[in-house]
Formats: sequence, structure tokens, C-alpha cells
Amino acid sequence: MFRKILVANRGEIALRIILSCKELGIKTVAIFSEADRHALHVRFADEAVCIGPPKSTDSYLNIPNVISTAELLNADAIHPGYGFLSESAYFAEVCEASRIKFIGPSSEAIRLMGDKARARTEMNRFGLPVLPGSDDAVHTEKEAIATAEAIGYPVIIKAVAGGGGRGMRVVQNRGELLASLKTAQAEAANAFGVPHCYIEKFIERARHIEFQIMADEYGNAIHLGERECSIQRRHQKLIEESPSVLMTPSLREEIGSRVVQAIKEVGYSNVGTLEFLVDDRKNFYFMEMNTRVQVEHPVTEMVTGFDIIRDQILIAAGERLPHKQSDVQFRGHALECRINAEDPGTHKPSPGKITAWHAPGGPGVRMDTAAYAEYVIPPYYDSLIAKLIVHGSTRDEAIRRMDRALDMFVLEGVKSTIPLHRQILRNPDFLKGDIYTKFLEHSQDRRARAAEIA
Amino acid sequence: MNLGNYATVPDYPNSEGSAPASAILLGLVSMNLKELKEIIDLVTSKESIEELELEKSGVRLRIRRASNHTASAAVEPAAITSAVPAAALPQAQPEMPEQKGEELYHIKSPIVGTFYKAPSPNSEAFVSVGDFVEKGSVVCIIEAMKLMNEIESDVAGEIISILVENGQPVEYGERLFAIRPR
Repeated sequence: MFRKILVANRGEIALRIILSCKELGIKTVAIFSEADRHALHVRFADEAVCIGPPKSTDSYLNIPNVISTAELLNADAIHPGYGFLSESAYFAEVCEASRIKFIGPSSEAIRLMGDKARARTEMNRFGLPVLPGSDDAVHTEKEAIATAEAIGYPVIIKAVAGGGGRGMRVVQNRGELLASLKTAQAEAANAFGVPHCYIEKFIERARHIEFQIMADEYGNAIHLGERECSIQRRHQKLIEESPSVLMTPSLREEIGSRVVQAIKEVGYSNVGTLEFLVDDRKNFYFMEMNTRVQVEHPVTEMVTGFDIIRDQILIAAGERLPHKQSDVQFRGHALECRINAEDPGTHKPSPGKITAWHAPGGPGVRMDTAAYAEYVIPPYYDSLIAKLIVHGSTRDEAIRRMDRALDMFVLEGVKSTIPLHRQILRNPDFLKGDIYTKFLEHSQDRRARAAEIA
Repeated sequence: MNLGNYATVPDYPNSEGSAPASAILLGLVSMNLKELKEIIDLVTSKESIEELELEKSGVRLRIRRASNHTASAAVEPAAITSAVPAAALPQAQPEMPEQKGEELYHIKSPIVGTFYKAPSPNSEAFVSVGDFVEKGSVVCIIEAMKLMNEIESDVAGEIISILVENGQPVEYGERLFAIRPR
């Protein structure tokens, strides 16, 4: 087992890692930037070292300083948390070369999953369905028509070099296809310099559902069920829950066993998450794999009773998987609301000093945070200040529990997403579980239109 | 009597062993009350005095200002000592005192690593207290990831103190040297 772990992160996740280490009897080293001198991860770690100025490229992403700190203080492992260096294959490689255990998968596994196109091809080869589409750009009209027919409408045309919605067109039928393709190609040429576009199956009202997996270094792997993360804005998750309302035990068993099979085939170890788009007929399409612990991991911890960070450390230390698939039982329903320091309407970040703070508690409530009264939220990092997590015997109970916890959450001095969460929790479609990734966008549009009419 | 000539600390001698002339000797043979008042006014106009010693027959006067640098209080440059025997000179001190209220510049560590004052265990230190350095002079080495990184002074001036021990781990932004800029 490790004697000392360097936690290469900040905020709530750094604190979360430190508390698992404390329970395992492992010493911790915190690293911090000049902006984080008064942060809680600095206070609760056994040792703390300033590694750079506020800008993360010069501090939390400064690989030489992180490695030097680990060497100077004799840390035998580094936990990267999420974000920052957690999905840097290069950093994992430097750790391997420095004989410091990177708590995560091998650098090759990170590199494979980091290449999204290659990851889809590989995982498809090992039995996971991916969105049907043209593998490459379509060059002729004939090719485009044949591809769209084969996939089935609606389809989406996307720029090969694309991003940000440019060069993107949803096509409902054959009649619209060629005109849309021309416009998309012209847009793509304008925006990216290359007109090439490809065609993919379009899913209306797609859900985002992901599977948590855990694998040791001896080829054993299990899944910990799913999390539904369809409440998003601009591709950023806001509310996560487990189980998903559309999941059934047999469907979970089916997808779960295919996921486990696929990660065994690629020889993956440590924890990870496979993200899927799901259509209204419960078809799962593999999108990508995150090779680290996720922000929303507590949701799974609440329904399984596992400590994912602890298990992650044990696996990295070379222990065998501490659980069998048959040990994994799902109990009740868990929800997580991300409390960000931002304007709930405009989503503009709202850094500053927290002037009043009361964290809600009571049965079934968990809060993962590194904030406190008088804490100054620095403007340099992401806006997540707390994760409020609740557990209930049913989804309804969990929602009511979350609502009262949000009501009792006192946070003054900065704007936060608390009012937005309370609004979502009262939305009839959300209560029914009728959610999809554009849910928030559409409901806000509807509200804006209603306000205009009124 | 012209105190102005004595109000600044003379240059610190570079050779080891010799005592720094950090105490100011006033070669007073006799002193009247008016002169004494002038001295006290000069000192108290800037700082509150902490200690005053007066000896009548040999005219010995000692005034000490309040200072938070207790370790160097004996060589506080503001201490005005008037004594006939030169034996009253203080012993050589490893550190030059910081004058209270004076803005010293600090060379800080730009990286995380181990501090070394010399290029190898058997060689001379890059700099010692009292040395004058130019902007760009190498002042120490910080070892990080088995690489020896030479750290240069970013100002020209006099090394007043070395704030870390040889072989000590240092973090980003840690103060290494105090320099009186020139």
C-alpha cells in the first residue's frame, strides 16, 4: 500500500481524495497555487507545497513542479482527480518514468480513449454500438443519398473539422438532404477552410447515460450501474442521478455486461466511465470514455455504498478488485446538484467572497465541497463550489429531499445555481423523468417566449 | 558636530573575519547638553528609542531604537555608541542587519526543488552575505527532477541574508535571498 499520496488537484475533489486517504491511513501532500493558500485541501493535507502562480498552466498543470514536489516529499503515488492532469497521457508517462504511481489507467489507455474517433472504432470492434454514420467525409451527392438511406432519417451533417455548431445541419428527409449538404459544406469551408462533411444518425431528445466501471490490473472488471446526466447546459452537466428512469434491471445487465467485456478486451485498469447517447427506443450508442474519476461519482457511491476513490487507490496499489459483480446491489435513488458560483440566468461566473454559509444536512444528505464562510472563490478556476447529493428510497423521495436541502442551503455573497436547481426540481417533465440533453435549453426558450407573450 | 557623516552604515568589508563597521562610533571628547539634545532629536524624529545609556565622566552614550530584529539588535546600525575604547566594537555577524522600514528585494524560487548554495558539495558558495551581485549573476541552484537549475538574481545589489539552508526543499515563490538593491 502507498505510504504517501500527492493530490494533484484543488477544490472539492482534492478534499474528497484526502478524506479517503485519511481513512486508509495514507499520508497526503497537497499542492496549491498562490491563489489557493487558504484553501481547505491545503489545510487538511499532511503537507502542502505551493507550486506556482494562480494561472493553472503555471501551477496545477505544471508537470515539472508537480513531479518535483512528489520526489522531494517522497510521495509514492499521485492522484490526479478530474480535470487538470487527469487525462494527460504525457503526465501519466512522466509518472511512470519517475517511478511514481499514477492513480489511473496506463498512459496507453488514456491515449487510446483520448482519440475519440479511434476509441469509437475500437469499442465498436469489441461489441459496443456506436452511432451509425459515414466513417469518412461524403464526397458525392450519390454517396450522401446512399449513406442517409442506409442510416435512416433523421440524420445530421457535421463538418469533419467542425465544432460550435457551424457546418452542422439536421436533415429530416430525402428532399432536404442535398440542399442541406451544400449549405453545410459552404459553412464548413468558410469556418474551417475545408468543406468536408460526414453524415451521422441524428437522435432527437437524446439522453446522456453513462456507466461507471472498475477494473484491476489482473483482468477483473465490474460495472457499478448507470448515471443519467441529461440535465445539462452547453454540454456541462448540472444534475445527475442514479438509476436512470428508463433503466430496467435486465437492460442494465445487458449493457453493463457488454461494457465490462469491452474494457476487458482493451485491457483497461482502474476506474472509468463510458458515456452513451440513448434514444427514445432505449438504443445505446457509445460516445466516449473518461479515464478518470467523474465529478458525479458520489451518485453511484450513494446507491452502491462503495467508496470509489478508496477502491481506485487500492487498485492502483496493485490489489485485486475488492468487489465481485454479484456484490454490487443498487439501493434507492440518488441525485446530485452541482452548485456553481454563477449567475443562474446568464451563466456568467460569479467569483468573490462567501459572506454567509450554511451547509444543509439531515438524513440522506451529503455535501462535497471545499468552500466555507468567508472563503474567497478565486476567478482562475472552474465555478463548481459544492456538490449537493441526496439519497432516498425512491426518485420522488430523493427529489423532495433535494428540494428541502436546497431550501436550507444558505449561500450569500456570490450568485449560484441554487435558484435554477429549485426551478428544475419543480418542472413537471423533470418530475416525470421526461428529460433529454436539450431539456434545459428548450425549457428556458419556452419561458422566454412565454415572457414575451405576456 | 556633524552627525550626517555617520548616519549611513559604511561598506561591509568583503573579506571574512573582519568585523563589520556596523556600529557608529562618535569620537566625542566632550559633549554639551545642546549637542546631546541634537543627537536624541535625530534619533527620535524617526523612531522611538528602546534603550538609552548615558555615562557621564567618559561621556558614554548609547541609544537604541525599537527594532523587531532582536537577533541583530546588537549591531543595529541606528545604535549610536560613544565610547573611548574601540573594544566596544561588536563581533562579526553572519547576517547584515535589515534597516527597519527599508525595502529589501527578495529573490524567490521560480520552481519547486532542492536549494543548493554551491555548484557542488566541495565548491565555494555562489554568493555569501555581503556580496554584491549583478542582475543575471547566478546565486544558487535549485535541483528539480534531477536537473540542476541555475537561479539568477533579477536585480543588482547587496546580499543581506540567505533565507534557506543548503539542501533544503523549497516551494514555488519561497524567499531565497534578501537583497538591498543598488
